[in-house]
Amino acid sequence: MSVDAVRRGIPGATLATQLGRRARGGFIVDEWGLDPDLVAVADPVLAVRWDITVEGANQLPNVGGAVLVFNRRFGISEPWVVARGIRQATGRFVRTVGVPDVAPVGPLLRRFGGVVDRTDEIAGLLRAGQLVGLPMARGMRSREQVGRLEVERLEAALDTGCPVVPVALVGRELGRSWRIVVGRPVPFDPDGGPLAAAELAEATRQAAQVLLDESLPTSWWF
Amino acid sequence: MVRVLITGMGGELGTRVANLLEGDDRVTDILGIDLFPPRRRIFRSEFHRVEPGDRRKAVRIVRDFDPEVVLHVGIFEPHSRTSPTEARLGTAASAVSVLGAAASCPSLKAIVVRSGIEVYGRRRGAPTVPDESCELDPTSPFGRSLAHVEQVAHDAGQVAGVPVTSLRLAPIVGPSIPSPLGRYLRLPFVAVDPLSELPFSLLHQEDACQAMVAAAWASHDGPLNVVGPGAVTATQAVLMGRRVPVPVIGPGWLLAAAAAEMLGAPLPPHSRELLTRGCTADGARARTVLELAPRTTHDVVTQLYRWHTVAHPVSSEAGTPA
Repeated sequence: MSVDAVRRGIPGATLATQLGRRARGGFIVDEWGLDPDLVAVADPVLAVRWDITVEGANQLPNVGGAVLVFNRRFGISEPWVVARGIRQATGRFVRTVGVPDVAPVGPLLRRFGGVVDRTDEIAGLLRAGQLVGLPMARGMRSREQVGRLEVERLEAALDTGCPVVPVALVGRELGRSWRIVVGRPVPFDPDGGPLAAAELAEATRQAAQVLLDESLPTSWWF
Repeated sequence: MVRVLITGMGGELGTRVANLLEGDDRVTDILGIDLFPPRRRIFRSEFHRVEPGDRRKAVRIVRDFDPEVVLHVGIFEPHSRTSPTEARLGTAASAVSVLGAAASCPSLKAIVVRSGIEVYGRRRGAPTVPDESCELDPTSPFGRSLAHVEQVAHDAGQVAGVPVTSLRLAPIVGPSIPSPLGRYLRLPFVAVDPLSELPFSLLHQEDACQAMVAAAWASHDGPLNVVGPGAVTATQAVLMGRRVPVPVIGPGWLLAAAAAEMLGAPLPPHSRELLTRGCTADGARARTVLELAPRTTHDVVTQLYRWHTVAHPVSSEAGTPA
């Protein structure tokens, strides 16, 4: 399938071009395993599963790294929702932390932007100018409370000086509609000493909780 | 005016490094030692053939030369030109004798050693793109060999009080370098693991040589990752070379490895680890310190499959090569 066919809008031409590129090995996989072509191919399927609205995406930098700290309840939909929602709103990929390093699940999830849960991994991504999605601990009992936030992971942001942005996710695991609310970056002092990471984690958690309180619908039905 | 000692001058990399230094007016004397004779013509370098285990001869040559810069390129990769056991023993013996002797030379100013990103290992949960600050945790015999060389160089540097640059090179492939990975990827049918493969980065042989020469002048104390930007997966590399990827999982690798060995492309553990667990590193610091711009991994793979036509020298007179 030629580029001309894609330009003329022939149905399936884009998919055929992508498949042809895959057959020739001409696609891009980055050092962490993200495969943008595969994400594009899977996008229609993800669109059927989740309908996402994003608010406050202008808080995210257009270029350069940032840590997006988001709440999760069961933690199944949330990483996909954050990655797809932010990509729709900003055109940038989100590298979600927490992929198990076990085949075949790990390598597959890495193709969609997942990374292993390590501080040096997050630091490397931030140095490379990537958006990193850092989930808080699961809050299975209530969707109104955000979970704990591992302090050590934010040391990567302190080391690289990248902004830490709280994100509230509102939606139900079995539902289709999700809402992402991006807050203002949490200010921090990069030279704040040993307590800086702990204070940053506390401030980020509080900011995410405030965002979630403001974002949750008043009726339990929604 | 600098005297440079190059170990491993008989290899593709060592000979090319010698040629590059021969073109540098700052270098007055170049002495090379290796098990094999140089693979290209050398112009003003002196070469001594030394067995890796012949410590007395190596020590005498090094002390007599009294180098100011030591470029330790003499690393034997398993199944590159020697068997895995010979490679392990030769790498260790060469490092100990040459770097140990160099440490006692009064003129020594800098040591540069060839290492590899295999020293980081690919244990489960290990960082995918380690930088120089990550701890060494090699998970293959070749990675452990390289970590040992780095340790020996570090000890020698401390004894002599000189900076030691450990160049952690990505797997080196190219159209003419003997590399087990290059040979394997050029087979007509290549076994790949579709369920577990992760991306890996490569380095072109010319970029590796340029990095070693640049490191000789940089006097950087510490490790530097030298990696071609970008990454590819095994299946992707095979498809780029118009080869046929054969999906293999689990015990099927035993059969695949045996078949590859029969076809003349034995697969050492570090290459198999690379194909299934990936192998990359953060090379940003080296690009700044050494002012290098290595070829991308995509370009390295493309050149791996590009066969140059043989250039026959044109004779100027009958019977006399030009």
